[in-house]
Amino acid sequence: MSVSVNYTQSPEGIIAGPVNEENFFEWEALIMGPEGTCFEGGVFPARLTFPTDYPLGPPKMKFTCEIFHPNIYPDGRVCISILHAPGDDPMGYETSAERWSPVQSVEKILLSVVSMLAEPNDESAANVDAAKTWRDDRKKFEDIAERTVKKSLGL
Amino acid sequence: MTSQLGKAPRQLPVIRACSIPRIEMAEELDFQYDPEKNYDEETLAQQKEIEREIVDTQQLVGERVSFDRLIREYAQEDEIYREKIEHLKNLYSCVRKTRGDGNCFYRAFGFAYLEKLLVDRTDVERFKDVVSKSLKVLVGLGFPQFTIEDFHETFLDIVNKVTNHCTHQELIDTFNDQGLSDYIVVYLRLIVSGHLQQEAEFFANFIEGDRTVKEFCNQEVEPMGKESDHIHLKALTDALGVCIRVEYMDRVDTHTCNHINFPEDSKPTIVLLYRPGHYDILYSNADMILFQRNLPK
Repeated sequence: MSVSVNYTQSPEGIIAGPVNEENFFEWEALIMGPEGTCFEGGVFPARLTFPTDYPLGPPKMKFTCEIFHPNIYPDGRVCISILHAPGDDPMGYETSAERWSPVQSVEKILLSVVSMLAEPNDESAANVDAAKTWRDDRKKFEDIAERTVKKSLGL
Repeated sequence: MTSQLGKAPRQLPVIRACSIPRIEMAEELDFQYDPEKNYDEETLAQQKEIEREIVDTQQLVGERVSFDRLIREYAQEDEIYREKIEHLKNLYSCVRKTRGDGNCFYRAFGFAYLEKLLVDRTDVERFKDVVSKSLKVLVGLGFPQFTIEDFHETFLDIVNKVTNHCTHQELIDTFNDQGLSDYIVVYLRLIVSGHLQQEAEFFANFIEGDRTVKEFCNQEVEPMGKESDHIHLKALTDALGVCIRVEYMDRVDTHTCNHINFPEDSKPTIVLLYRPGHYDILYSNADMILFQRNLPK
C-alpha cells in the first residue's frame, strides 16, 4: 500500500493527508482556487476515499463544500478521467484522456483537479446546469463561483 | 492484428455508453435529462455486474483442460474453429485457461514462464538477475521508486520462491490470489512500458494514432485491464529475454493455426494460445513429461 504525499510534499495550493492516523484510506484535502480563474481565493475542502485494492483501483474524490462546476456532480463528487480506470467510461471520455493506472499518484490527481477548476470541460458534464451556464452565461457562472469562493472562506 | 468477429472468449466488454450526450446534442435529440437520475452510476453498476460474473465463473489461472473440452465452447457448425482445434490437438497436449479480464496475456505469460522454471532450471539465475535489475532501469526512466517498488518486490519474491523450489500448488495459489496476482500483472505492465519507452525511437513506428510512445504507455500499457497486442508481446519478451510462441486461433480461413515466435528466430520456452481478445496457455506432450518428471512434490 503506497498512499503517499505528506503535507510538506503537496504541490503548491494543495494540502492533503489522512483524516487520522488509524485510517489511511480516508484523506481530506484543501484545494485553493487557481489564480487568474473565477475560483481564485477560494479554499475548497474535499474528501478522498481509497479502495481496499488501491493502487490497483483509483480513489474517489468528493468536495464537501458547495461548488458549481461542470465536472463536479451537484453532490460534490469529482468526475475526471484520471479517477476512472480504462473501460470504466461513464462520460464517454476521449480515448486520449489520462486514465487511472497503479503508477498514478494522489499528487497527480490533485493537480488534475486544480487544472479542472481552471479549465472546465463542458463536453463531459457531471453537472449539466453548470456546463450550460459556463458555456452560455459566463457572467452568471463567475458570479456563482465568486459566491462559493466567499462561502468557502466563511465570509 | 486486426479484430476478428466470431465467438470470442468472454472478455470484459468495453462499455462505451455516453450517459449524458454532449449538451448541444442533447437539445437536438430532444434528450430529457432527468437530474434526479444518476446515469453515471447506472452504467457503472451494469459494468460491475459483468465483472462480478466473470470473477465468479473464471479462475485467474485455471486448471489444465483437454482440447475436447475446449471444442465444446464452439458450435457444431463452427467449421473453422473446430478444424483449428483439431490441428492444435496434434501439436499440444492440453490448455490452461486464464480469466478474461484484459490482463490475461500478462497473467498467462507470468504463470507459464515461472511454471516452466520450476521444471527447467536452465534460465533461473539469468531471469532472476534481469528481474532484480529491472527496478533500477525503471527508476532511471523516471518512474517514481516509491510508487513502483512494492510491485517489484512482490514479483521478485515470487521469482525467489520459484528459485527456491516452491511447489507447483504454491505457484498456482499465488497466481490465484487476486492481490499478489494483480501485483505481478502491474509489474509486467511496467516492464513493457519501460522497454517501450527505452526503445521509443523504434516502437514509435508501430503506434497507431497521433500519440507518443509515452502516451501510448499511459493509456494502453500501465492501466490494468488494457488488452495486449503484438507490440506489448514484443516489448515484454525483449525486455525479459524470454522466448515465447503464440498460436493464433482466429477466424482467418485457413485449416491450421498460424504461429508467431517472439523473438522471431528463437526457440520458444512457452506457448500461448490466442483467440480474438484472449490468451491462454498451451502445453506440449514434451512439457507434460517434463512436469511429471521434474515437478517438486
